[in-house]
Amino acid sequence: MDRHMNLILLAGGFAAALAGAFVFEPGMLFLLTEVMVVLILAQMWNLLAGFGGQVSLGQQAFFGLGGYLLFLGANSTQIPLWVWLGVTPLIVGLLAVPLGLVVFHLKNAYFAVGMWVVAEILAAVFMRFDFLGGSAGIVLRPGGASMTMNPERLVFFIAAFGFVAIIVALRLFLKSTTGLALLGMRDSPDAASACGVDVRRMHLMVFVIAAMGCAAGGSLYYITTLYISAADAFQMNWLIVMMFVSIIGGLGTLTGPIIGTLLFIMIREAMTSAGFSGGTYWIVMGALAVVVLLLAPRGLWPLIRDFHFRKTGRVTR
Amino acid sequence: MFCEKGNALLRATGLSKSFNGVPAVASVDLDLDIGESVGVIGPNGAGKSTLLGLLVGSLKADEGRLIMEGRDLTRMAVHRRVSAGIARAAQIPQTFGRLTVAENLRLPAVFGAGLHGAEAERWVEEVLEMCGLAELAGTDAEHLGLLSRKRLELAKAVAARPKVLLLDEVGAGLTEPEIEQIMELVRKLRDGRAVMWVEHIPFALRGVCERLVVMDKGAKILDGPFEEVWADPDLQAIYMGVPDDEVA
Repeated sequence: MDRHMNLILLAGGFAAALAGAFVFEPGMLFLLTEVMVVLILAQMWNLLAGFGGQVSLGQQAFFGLGGYLLFLGANSTQIPLWVWLGVTPLIVGLLAVPLGLVVFHLKNAYFAVGMWVVAEILAAVFMRFDFLGGSAGIVLRPGGASMTMNPERLVFFIAAFGFVAIIVALRLFLKSTTGLALLGMRDSPDAASACGVDVRRMHLMVFVIAAMGCAAGGSLYYITTLYISAADAFQMNWLIVMMFVSIIGGLGTLTGPIIGTLLFIMIREAMTSAGFSGGTYWIVMGALAVVVLLLAPRGLWPLIRDFHFRKTGRVTR
Repeated sequence: MFCEKGNALLRATGLSKSFNGVPAVASVDLDLDIGESVGVIGPNGAGKSTLLGLLVGSLKADEGRLIMEGRDLTRMAVHRRVSAGIARAAQIPQTFGRLTVAENLRLPAVFGAGLHGAEAERWVEEVLEMCGLAELAGTDAEHLGLLSRKRLELAKAVAARPKVLLLDEVGAGLTEPEIEQIMELVRKLRDGRAVMWVEHIPFALRGVCERLVVMDKGAKILDGPFEEVWADPDLQAIYMGVPDDEVA
């Protein structure tokens, strides 16, 4: 049953991503790619904080690194852009191992702020050095030449199918015994280690996966914009989006961040098209977060699930 | 002394732990053997729970050594000690609220006892049955009552298949009939392992343990056959002269 569900998800995701890539016009594809990127980012922050219990305020570091590595790599070599798209998350994942071993010495709030500092340091470094783009940033010129194709269709397809694949992978993972250990750690890391779980190793694993996912998100997003700057790539707003949609939707669930993302994008698009300028929608998002956290501290999806359970007596996970 | 044998299953020598300069456990020597069940009593603050913490690895000893079957566990992390064969049922049940009772037991069965697949499933079923939790197997742990949570905490320790099973006040907060159920369970668990039970309820220990350790102010004061230690004037003195039946 579950296996069928996963296959259906993969096949359906593939078909929908392919169809979407052909049907929609570029402006819409740009927006939808952003939606997919936010979905991926949210799921990664959710994995790290919601399931792994490691609240990080610095995931924008990996997002920015993902974008920059892709630009620097593709611009300065003849290796195709699409190869870099695949390689970048791997490199960032490798970098996350030593970083994790260092920042794990910080606990809880110190870890959260420590990661924020890491992101700020990276922003400062990329802004300071001209060979990294400096304060002017970098334009995407694969192999030194201007982009000859419009990447939106392919990027949307990769992002959309990638997101579905990530969901299926997470579903499989959470069903495994390693996933069960992570679900246990969500309730109590101490109890998990008392059961023989190597909590530190699990933390490192989740940290690396989340770093890779955020890097992939950064790579995908900045291919569509064709331009990257440190002020944009390492900005805190990326983190705030991940946190908001995860917490509003329901931390520690796979469905919650999807609901949160849809709400976020709908509110933003509705307000922007109604003529509210710039970041006004953040006020609404902030107010919504406060209301949700007051009325349903576990987020919207657990609320819906409990309601459904009371109505039908059936548990939806 | 009662425990001066050649090859103990678990041997602690000179275990010490201070918190901010105040000694909580002071140079405790302890041997545990397979088939033994040892009760530990002592006033509040005597260092009983701290001693268990040192054995299980949630606390790091300032001094002393811990050897199990010839392996030095002194610097070993909690999760590796579980695999090596030491498990504790904690005073406050540390259950996984959002996992089912069966899933709560699968974790120690897989990561503690090192079982896989069908073997792990069978063992979980067995522990569920043994601990009287079979009917609650599919219930999320957060919906359990206190007795069931205490049972689950005990079952989690058992599911790791420890050679040394440490029980920290697993009877605290329960009614007398409930404590008797827990005693019944602990009696079943004695075979093939060493059980060490810290408890404030003397009748529970008396019904299960044949050896008794008395701690006071971080030190091990008495250690020997249960009735002998129980009758010792020093024990009476620690409890300020309160006669046997009133303590019980």
